[in-house]
Amino acid sequence: MTVLAERPRTARAPLAPVAAAPRRRVSPERVAAALTLVALLVASVVALRSVDIDPARMLQSWTNAERFFTRVGAVEFPPLGELLQLTALTLGLVISGTVLAAVLSVPVAVLAASNTTPGPAWRAAARFVTVLARAVPDVVLAMVFVLLFTLGALPGILAIGLHSVGMIAKLFADAIEQVDEGPRTAVRAAGGTRLQQFTAGVLPQVLPSWVATVLHRNDINLRGSVILGYVGVVGLGREMSFAFKSLDYGLGLGYAVVIFVLCVVMEIVSSSVRAAMLGIAPTGRGLGDRVVRRAARRRADRAAQESPVAPATDRAPAPRGSAAAAAPTVAAMARRPWDRTRVRDVTWGWAAVAVVVLGVVVCDIAWSDLVTVWSGVPAVAVQFWPPSFGSYETSVMVAAMGETVAIALAATLLTLVASVVVGSFAARNVAPTRGVRSGSRLLLVGIRGVPEVILAIVLIVVTGLGTQAGTLALALGGIGLLGKLLADSFEEVSAGPERALAATGASRLQVWAGATLPQGTRALVGHTFYMLDTNIRAATLLGIVGAGGIGYHLLNASQGSNYGAVTGIVLMILVTVLVVEGLAMWMRRVFR
Amino acid sequence: MTPPAEPAETVVSLQGITKRFGATVALDDASVSVRRGEVVVLLGLSGSGKSTLLRHVDGLEQPSSGRVHVLGREVTGLRGRALRELRSEIGFIFQQFELVPSLTVLENVLTGSLAQVRGPRLGLWSYGRAARAEGLARLERVGLLERAYQRADTLSGGQQQRVAIARALMQRPQVLLADEPVASLDPESSDQVMALIREIAVDEGLTVICSLHQVDLALSWADRIVGLRHGGVVLDTPTEGLTKAQVMEIYGRVATSTDQFEAIEHELGTPSEAAVVTGDAVR
Repeated sequence: MTVLAERPRTARAPLAPVAAAPRRRVSPERVAAALTLVALLVASVVALRSVDIDPARMLQSWTNAERFFTRVGAVEFPPLGELLQLTALTLGLVISGTVLAAVLSVPVAVLAASNTTPGPAWRAAARFVTVLARAVPDVVLAMVFVLLFTLGALPGILAIGLHSVGMIAKLFADAIEQVDEGPRTAVRAAGGTRLQQFTAGVLPQVLPSWVATVLHRNDINLRGSVILGYVGVVGLGREMSFAFKSLDYGLGLGYAVVIFVLCVVMEIVSSSVRAAMLGIAPTGRGLGDRVVRRAARRRADRAAQESPVAPATDRAPAPRGSAAAAAPTVAAMARRPWDRTRVRDVTWGWAAVAVVVLGVVVCDIAWSDLVTVWSGVPAVAVQFWPPSFGSYETSVMVAAMGETVAIALAATLLTLVASVVVGSFAARNVAPTRGVRSGSRLLLVGIRGVPEVILAIVLIVVTGLGTQAGTLALALGGIGLLGKLLADSFEEVSAGPERALAATGASRLQVWAGATLPQGTRALVGHTFYMLDTNIRAATLLGIVGAGGIGYHLLNASQGSNYGAVTGIVLMILVTVLVVEGLAMWMRRVFR
Repeated sequence: MTPPAEPAETVVSLQGITKRFGATVALDDASVSVRRGEVVVLLGLSGSGKSTLLRHVDGLEQPSSGRVHVLGREVTGLRGRALRELRSEIGFIFQQFELVPSLTVLENVLTGSLAQVRGPRLGLWSYGRAARAEGLARLERVGLLERAYQRADTLSGGQQQRVAIARALMQRPQVLLADEPVASLDPESSDQVMALIREIAVDEGLTVICSLHQVDLALSWADRIVGLRHGGVVLDTPTEGLTKAQVMEIYGRVATSTDQFEAIEHELGTPSEAAVVTGDAVR
């Protein structure tokens, strides 16, 4: 030791010049992708400046907020009976729409999955359907259906049903592609038909993940139902829009509170169902998941204390004691015993059926509309064609679309910066203390609980109509999602490099920058593009509630019965969304 | 363990089967025929073509050249309903059992009867009372009746393979194919499963073709051993009077380089006498 200690620290001797190391070859595609990323970043900064969010203004709007809340007075609620009826209607509409989407998604998913598709052409067509369904916002669909049908729940159900196919069918297909092919081969080897191979070999494997997908989508659709109200779909959202339009802020906020509570309750319910039916611990997406996970853990602990699990043995169980001495006979086993699993499965199954039936009944659907609507289609369809921008200059519309894209870019940038900070503190391997981690996670969960639309509406009420409100609403709402995704990605990185850096004496920040972030970069790029993708759609929708951009013109055109303009605007949105989607797919491929 | 006293009809016959997957030749002019009631074991290194040969018997693969006849029908070129009917008469046991983990044991067994019904089935009730009773009887046959309503993934490996056997029996097959049925099991479970297959073959008069890589198991359970190497048949003899050393020649003769010696060692788990002998020669 002493010898070592006495040895003087050698100054870094100049190393022999290294013969030019072979340069790493960079593919032109990677260069192009990197340049695109930089361009997007610059565009986001420019967009952020153009949206003109400055602290002074925000401080001023804070005094606005105080004034606003004194003016609102108390938050009001509608009479209880009416409230319950509206709540039931909203839930019924959302559930019916989601179930419709799930049913439609099954054939699309089977055609889109590489292992069940009859051919590449079918697969391409099915994938295109999912992309298209995702690209057309449900609000746009709702506008069209509101024109086609007499008022009622049907436009909302169909809009939710068709739009949700985009996400549900894609996730269904992903689940099919991940199954173990073995059981299916076994059915094939036993002489089963293709359909039997699917129902006996594939379906039982994908069912749990399918149920989880549908429940997750149902949560999303409940949030989205608020904005459907703004285009005339019945339910809580429409009543809230009426209240705000008649400047009855107290009542409007009352509805907003009800919707917020409903969203949280729904998340708790769907988490419980997922946990109970699938027997898996939810990995956490929101407030509900946390509550359920904690309860489940406590239950598991108790069960572990009560009965130490007997290991499975290969031998047929030897008769234990005289009571169990008689081996069961085929006749005795003919009826499936009502054990806990069966009782649970049957209860949940019938509960699910009851909920769906109730949901459909409560919507009071005018089924005759489905028949009579076809006679109206040609007349309405003619009005939608050709696309035009009506009395507006094309340049005005393009500028409005640009404004929407700017809102999305600016919001994504703000979200990204905030999420990297909050997400890092929420990651177990980065947070300095457990308290910091729990606090950050709680913050993310709290943000997730508030539907963006409500955030936007409140911000609009506070700061006035304009792009700032929309940008802030998207940016804040996005932190809940992106922060969580980043925190999870950071926690998933391999711990080895982090330990290695820490062992060399690197500081906490250096470990984060040198080991955690580089390993999480790929996920970061992927998640950020997902965020941008979502934000473009959301920015359109927020325009409808008054947050600026193309959505405002869309609502105007639809309410002014200027259907040619609706078509023109929808096509413009569609092209933009598809471009971003294509960009995101390219990035995911290049930075794999 | 003795071959049938009087020669019975041939139920499986592969003549000059060659199978190419792109550039690799999986089977090279292989011919095997099996008589009713025989228990034949295929032996050979990994990649010698055992699985491919079995998959040809029930038409999961079609040969590049050669002809396959099973139960008096030509399998080559068979498709659609006729192929499914043939497959329903042939049970197939897989190395990885291939049960649906989330379904009950009984429902897994019942999927063996799908070829006898029309259309899809999901849920125990959808199979009908008679089928359920038969499924329970099959489970009793493999000694797992009391597990009927448990999820398949709560069972141990050996138990799962017995469920897979019950599923194959549900087809009321005439031929039973088994592709490395005990490769994923511990020695005790392996013995149980092989004994069960043998017992059932005798009781139900089944013809069994089973690939294995344990020479000892093959010697104790087979009527006849067929050795495969590089996709060709290099040994086809009744087990009676066969010694382990003779069988080891299937492997022994190929051990001409260090690579293959190590492959054998891997295959057998421990350096066996034959491998050691040839190993010396190599070194």
